[in-house]
Amino acid sequence: MEKMNGKHDDCRNFAPVDAAKGICRKTNTMIFTDTDVCDAMEMMPKCKNCSNFQGVDKDNIGTCVGLKKHGWTYGELIAVTCEGYRQV
Amino acid sequence: MRNGEKIMEILSQKGLSGKMQGSEGMTEREIKKQPKERTKFLRDIYYDTLSTANTEFPYWYTRRWNELDGEIPVIRRAEALKCAFSHLTPTIYPREKLVMQKTNYYRGSFPMPWLSEGFFVAKEDELYQDALNRGSASADELSKFGSGGGNVTQSFGKVVSIAGKFGMRQEEIPVLTKLSREWVGRSVEDLGHKYEQMVPDYPIKENIMKTLICMFDSGYTLPQGREVINYYYPLQYGFDKIIEMAEECKRAVAGNAGGDGLIGMDRLYFYEAVKIVVEGLQNWILNYAKEAQRLAGITEDEQQKREYEEIAECLHWIAHHQPRTFREALQMIYTLHIAVLNEDAISGLSPGRVGQVLYPWFEQDMEAGRITEDEVLELLELYRVKMTCIDCFASTGVVGGVLSGNTFNNLSLGGLTWEGNSAANPLEMLILEAGMTCESTQPTLSILYDEKLPEEFLLKGIECNKTGVGYPAWMNNQIGIQFLLDQYGGEGMDVREARAVAIGGCLETSPCCWKELTLNGRKYQIPGGAGQPTSVGVHFIANPKILELVLTNGKDYRTNIQVYPPHNKKLETYEELWETFQGYYILTCDCLTKTNNIQHDIWRKNNMSIVNSFLKPDCLDKGQHIGNMGYRYNATYNIESCGTINMVNSLAAIKKLVYEEKKYTLEELTEALLNNFGFKNAEETGSYSMKDQIKLENVTKYDDIYNDCVKAPKYGNADPYVDEILKIYEDWFCEMTRTFESLYGKKMYPCQISVSTHGAQGRATLASADGRLAGTTYADGSMSAYPGTDKNGPYALFHSATVWDHAKSQNSQMNMKIHPSAVSGKEGSKKLLDLTRAYMRKGGFHIQYNIVDSKVLKDAQQKPENYRDLMVRVAGFTQYWCEIGRPIQDEVIARTEYEGV
Repeated sequence: MEKMNGKHDDCRNFAPVDAAKGICRKTNTMIFTDTDVCDAMEMMPKCKNCSNFQGVDKDNIGTCVGLKKHGWTYGELIAVTCEGYRQV
Repeated sequence: MRNGEKIMEILSQKGLSGKMQGSEGMTEREIKKQPKERTKFLRDIYYDTLSTANTEFPYWYTRRWNELDGEIPVIRRAEALKCAFSHLTPTIYPREKLVMQKTNYYRGSFPMPWLSEGFFVAKEDELYQDALNRGSASADELSKFGSGGGNVTQSFGKVVSIAGKFGMRQEEIPVLTKLSREWVGRSVEDLGHKYEQMVPDYPIKENIMKTLICMFDSGYTLPQGREVINYYYPLQYGFDKIIEMAEECKRAVAGNAGGDGLIGMDRLYFYEAVKIVVEGLQNWILNYAKEAQRLAGITEDEQQKREYEEIAECLHWIAHHQPRTFREALQMIYTLHIAVLNEDAISGLSPGRVGQVLYPWFEQDMEAGRITEDEVLELLELYRVKMTCIDCFASTGVVGGVLSGNTFNNLSLGGLTWEGNSAANPLEMLILEAGMTCESTQPTLSILYDEKLPEEFLLKGIECNKTGVGYPAWMNNQIGIQFLLDQYGGEGMDVREARAVAIGGCLETSPCCWKELTLNGRKYQIPGGAGQPTSVGVHFIANPKILELVLTNGKDYRTNIQVYPPHNKKLETYEELWETFQGYYILTCDCLTKTNNIQHDIWRKNNMSIVNSFLKPDCLDKGQHIGNMGYRYNATYNIESCGTINMVNSLAAIKKLVYEEKKYTLEELTEALLNNFGFKNAEETGSYSMKDQIKLENVTKYDDIYNDCVKAPKYGNADPYVDEILKIYEDWFCEMTRTFESLYGKKMYPCQISVSTHGAQGRATLASADGRLAGTTYADGSMSAYPGTDKNGPYALFHSATVWDHAKSQNSQMNMKIHPSAVSGKEGSKKLLDLTRAYMRKGGFHIQYNIVDSKVLKDAQQKPENYRDLMVRVAGFTQYWCEIGRPIQDEVIARTEYEGV
């Protein structure tokens, strides 16, 4: 993933507070989600970063083939608890 | 009467109004305390947090549900819940001690399209239009949110406003739409709608909803809530043991009907479902434990690292076992609380008598020197912050028009032990203290007032009132017990059990029970909920609106809908008018009861509770969930009213002016009402308070009738003329509601609170004969006087309010606004306690106080940015001023302000 294409909620060091902002665990400061990320960014497991995420459409919705039964999923879904997650 | 003048000026010139507000300085609250530094840090985050919804839980729920097509519904639901809980992303914030929340956001919530999906699609979408036609979206149109605080009333940047309150990331909108579409035709709303149309009077019900005579359908909006949760089983046994018990029970009941040919076999599936959801809850807790360990591993700050490790240890333990310490027990009950709230759309899930439930751990930790009172206080403050972060996702009409964004997690204090002694304890004193040091909306507090409670405890409650936070409310314990014995005696409740009473939601008297808890060999009797929700049934009937339609032959002139069949009566006597009102009211209750019964029946078949069910007695004993009447008490469905006092005052005016003095004909009065007595509509003035209404230019035709209507006898002044009308109404209403039957075959009962519906339903109501103008808010509560009309002091108001037997109703509601100077100092505290006692001794059920200077509220309306932390009591709950819609703000400002008690 291109680092600069990300947003802060793509980073594992970001504790989301609401839809607009969160706490950066590196700096312990409140930051807006949609601002430039820094070099310390650590990729958050999300479907869009998983090799089992396929056939993505314009809405970033695709198919998950990583679990027992295939089903649709979306790129922004956080996958830290997903047993089928395989980082790209 | 001069044109273009504001009503307060007009009335003041005629000597009819309360006094005008002066411009002297604002009076500050007498008592103000500060939270611990950690609490302040976390509460400050809350103050700056937006309500945020996401799709994680509904995504995983729907995915698993779809995989299990054909499975037995209770198992399918359990698996879907387990999958959703197991996949929730854990977020732990720096400095937290008490952790977990509904979603990975600080103040998060999510839609449940399996309940209702039509609302979540775009407004121009056919699904939304369909909802509008059904009347189920009508409340949305007339409900308002406050524009401040955490409400996302407008979209911005990549945040989209949903339901006028919640922010959602733009990327998730297509997901929400896709999820919603997957539930079309199979949600509780859609299936309920399919079958409710088979009720012969369904077209009338549709019109009732469109005209806002009724505020909302309860079956798919808030199918659970306004009840008391029960934490007993996990506190006594721990989750591992519950799974063992479920396995044991499965072996005992498999293939065995147990003498019940209808639902005996269901026990096997229920126990299996319990095992499945408990595993899901364990996964959820352990995911947080894992996250705490991860954070401990990457945190350099030693103290923070240690705190993450403590969190991990606490969560690891409570995921499996009975809590060992006060902190673990508090974490356990908080976790259980949000587990139930994630299971269903719920408002008013009350934690009950937490100070008595957690007392065993408090007592033993204190004895062993494991904790100090100061540490307990900090934990209780943190609990307040976490509870305040709870949001409920529902439609605008429900969340805004009914709830004002509040979730009514009401914590009860005081009352009696099962043996009939005072149940107040030192932990409850600390809960009150935390309510003062950490002012926040949740949990709101209620004192179950009983003559046996110690003075020190009662004065602590009064001290808390004087902080101006709007809690604790005062509920009459003995009246509550009488109500319970009458309503639940048929299901086996006796007086000892009735003493376990607690308040569910704002002020709903709820059936509870005692369970024996053992901790380190010591035994305790702890109270907890044992009954079905009371957020169910017919919710909220606009009394003044029905009276309006009596005068208009069943037609609503605001929408031009013929709601009821025309009665075509001349209404020549007051008795005929009253009987016609009763007829329309009964018709309203009849079709709403039947259609809501169908919605709830669909809910219990496809969307039954499993988490809440396994927690509450006696589901685990019976092997039956809520839908199969597994709870000990099931007669909880009610009929709720709103606008009682405006209706009573209007009846008094009509009786006097039309039928007795014959000063005006009914036709003349009706014409004046249809023309709003010559005033602009509240929508045009932009205010929903009487005080701001403006006279139309060159319209003087209705001046005399308006003056007479305003001068007619008013409730709240110990005037027998109008008090008798109230008594006749209450006696009839309390009996009438009991003639209706819930889907569980139990008699229904009256519930008389307004929550925030007096704002939205006031907006839908034309002028009324009491002089209230079109679109303005009704009087709040059911026993509060209409603003400015109670002129003889609080004791006269109490006299009027108690001319009927409050034990015949689940509740009644009296709100008073008192100027801080009236209760200042120790003397003032005693006066306020005396005032409270006086109302309780007269048989009043509930009273609460806003101890605030109205000038502060006015200033806050002008400069909300300066008052992020200002809280007020609305109807039965405390809410942040800036998150309340304008109609309710106006109503609170307009309330009569007592300067002496």
